[in-house]
Amino acid sequence: MIRLRGITKAYGRTTALDGLELDVEDGEFFCLLGPSGAGKTTTLKTVAGLELPDAGTVELDGRDLAGVEPYDRGVAMCFESYALYPHRSVHDNLASPLRSPRHRLPAAEARARIMETAALLGIEALLDRPVGQLSNGQRQRVALGRVLVRPARAFLLDEPLSHLDAKLRQQMRAELKAIGAVRRTTTLYVTHDSVEALALGDRIGVIRDGRIVQTGTREEIWYRPHDTEVARAFGRPRINLLPGTLTENGAFRSAGGGIELPVRAEAPPGTEVLAGIRPRDLSLTAPGHELTGTVYVTEVLGRSVEVTVRLGGGAGPGARPPGGGAGPETGAGPETGAPRVSLVAPRADTRGLGPDDPVRLTLRPENLLLFEADRPRRPGRRIGTR
Amino acid sequence: MREPERDVREREREAGRGAGRDGRGPGRDGRGARRVAGWLADAALVGYFVFALFPIAWMLVLSLKPADQLFSTYFSFTPTLGSYRTVLGGGEGIPFLRFFVNSLVVSVGAVALSLLVGLPAAYASARWRFKGSENLMFTLLSFRFAPELTVIIPLFVLYQRLGLFDTYVGMIWVLQLVTLPLVVWIMRSYFADLTPELEQAALLDGYSRTQAFFRVALPLVKPGVAAVSLLAFIFAWNNFVFPLILTSNEAQTVTVGALSFLGGDRPKYNLTAAAALVSVVPPLLLALTIQRYLVRGLSFGAVKS
Repeated sequence: MIRLRGITKAYGRTTALDGLELDVEDGEFFCLLGPSGAGKTTTLKTVAGLELPDAGTVELDGRDLAGVEPYDRGVAMCFESYALYPHRSVHDNLASPLRSPRHRLPAAEARARIMETAALLGIEALLDRPVGQLSNGQRQRVALGRVLVRPARAFLLDEPLSHLDAKLRQQMRAELKAIGAVRRTTTLYVTHDSVEALALGDRIGVIRDGRIVQTGTREEIWYRPHDTEVARAFGRPRINLLPGTLTENGAFRSAGGGIELPVRAEAPPGTEVLAGIRPRDLSLTAPGHELTGTVYVTEVLGRSVEVTVRLGGGAGPGARPPGGGAGPETGAGPETGAPRVSLVAPRADTRGLGPDDPVRLTLRPENLLLFEADRPRRPGRRIGTR
Repeated sequence: MREPERDVREREREAGRGAGRDGRGPGRDGRGARRVAGWLADAALVGYFVFALFPIAWMLVLSLKPADQLFSTYFSFTPTLGSYRTVLGGGEGIPFLRFFVNSLVVSVGAVALSLLVGLPAAYASARWRFKGSENLMFTLLSFRFAPELTVIIPLFVLYQRLGLFDTYVGMIWVLQLVTLPLVVWIMRSYFADLTPELEQAALLDGYSRTQAFFRVALPLVKPGVAAVSLLAFIFAWNNFVFPLILTSNEAQTVTVGALSFLGGDRPKYNLTAAAALVSVVPPLLLALTIQRYLVRGLSFGAVKS
């Protein structure tokens, strides 16, 4: 169990962590997701004792770690830079924790563990190689191996899959959680890849500017994102954010007046809002609330097609949507200012569809989200749902 | 580094061959011009070679001349190893061999002490910023700003009073002014080039900070240690002012010792030359021995991926 309370850390004038609060339960696989510079690595290093917080407490299994040296914390960490010992072989890198004064194992047992770990990660054949001769993917697996080779109170994994090629990353992602040691050990996993976070995390924490914005299960993060930025972070194509206002009778009216949807929102009528609609809740065929527009671009993804539609009553290129007020988050084209939405449709539905063709979209409102309008440097908070 | 260059040359050769095959080749003229340029470059290098080695050749000639032909200006003389025999045999009442041993002891001692003190200092200053750390480093470097002559008189007085005059300890100590800043400053940049995450990984593997230093950081800066040891040794070996003033006989070194042959009623340039050439041998041997570390040492930054 890892518990961080009010962790603040500044490097000179830059604040890396700003009152960060985090709880990782026993045996849980917790994914910390955030853009680079959000404070992910600093958080891990704070738990490991490699960075000392300016304020706040770190607890591991109920014990306050203030003043406890990194080597006495009993955590294992996988560095994003691998941090493998370049002058040693793969075997000796894996053996390093097992030879240290604090985790020393009898030679035979150590050998067995190293072989087991190497087999698990598919690096048995590399054991005698110097680390310098390995590819990045192999190095990353060795780095992971050095973490898994010994029992630890917690695993701290800093983007351990980021440098793998796509195929290997997918394979390792699937395998990582199946590893017994990982299943049993409290794991704090840092990534900037939302797919990874959704796939791996028992729970997910979204970090931004040194604070945790939201923690929750993947369902909670997906269906109840805290703000537009969290909503945008998950799902490809990104969530569509339609600008509009709240009406007197508590409905969302899109900026062009094209649609009106009943919503539950904690805001007065007239408030400028964004309606969040996942691409999979838009369709070209199914019955539902209708929107009209013209095709902007189509992209074949395989069996399905991503269609981007410029909204606004069949208006041709260059026309401005009535009412204007398009937020930047809808990906409004600089040439028209018209809000655009993306959806993913089966290939059959898009046959014969080309740029500038008029289309009708239907919207399933079940998962509709309502956000405050974004302000500079402050993404709009979620204020309602359907 | 030479790969692309070779490629280009090969391609040009290929092109030249193609042109030559149709019988009339602008390629042929180009090749000729390149050959002339090559000769010119070779000639320039030979010229520099002569320029660079001439003083040493002159010393060699001088050391092989018998005393009575020393001042003949044409190059005919009867070569003799007599000067070397005299110098190494302790002739002229000058114990040159002892000076030689003194130089070895003092230089090796100075380098060893500098490494012992300087490596941890360099590591600490590269890894931890503490109050006044930069000032401390600057102060250390400032020992090298002042010419040795500016401090030599007070040092002489101190050494007389402390009983350090003309002792090994005294010489090793004073040579720290030369070697320690060198070791600390050069090694500091080597340590700074190492990512701290390597030692952090060692800490999390369960090693103490000291163990992390010895097991991870130190082995990785070995090429730097080799390079800086050689430099420090050469500086210590070549130092002239400190042994000139702070030693008289017991701890005197070759740099001062070689000049003793110039004293007396007639300066014996042949003996000085022989002594000087003998005293070049240790730094030369050392440089040749650790040459391969030196090359790696200078290109160390490229090792990281």
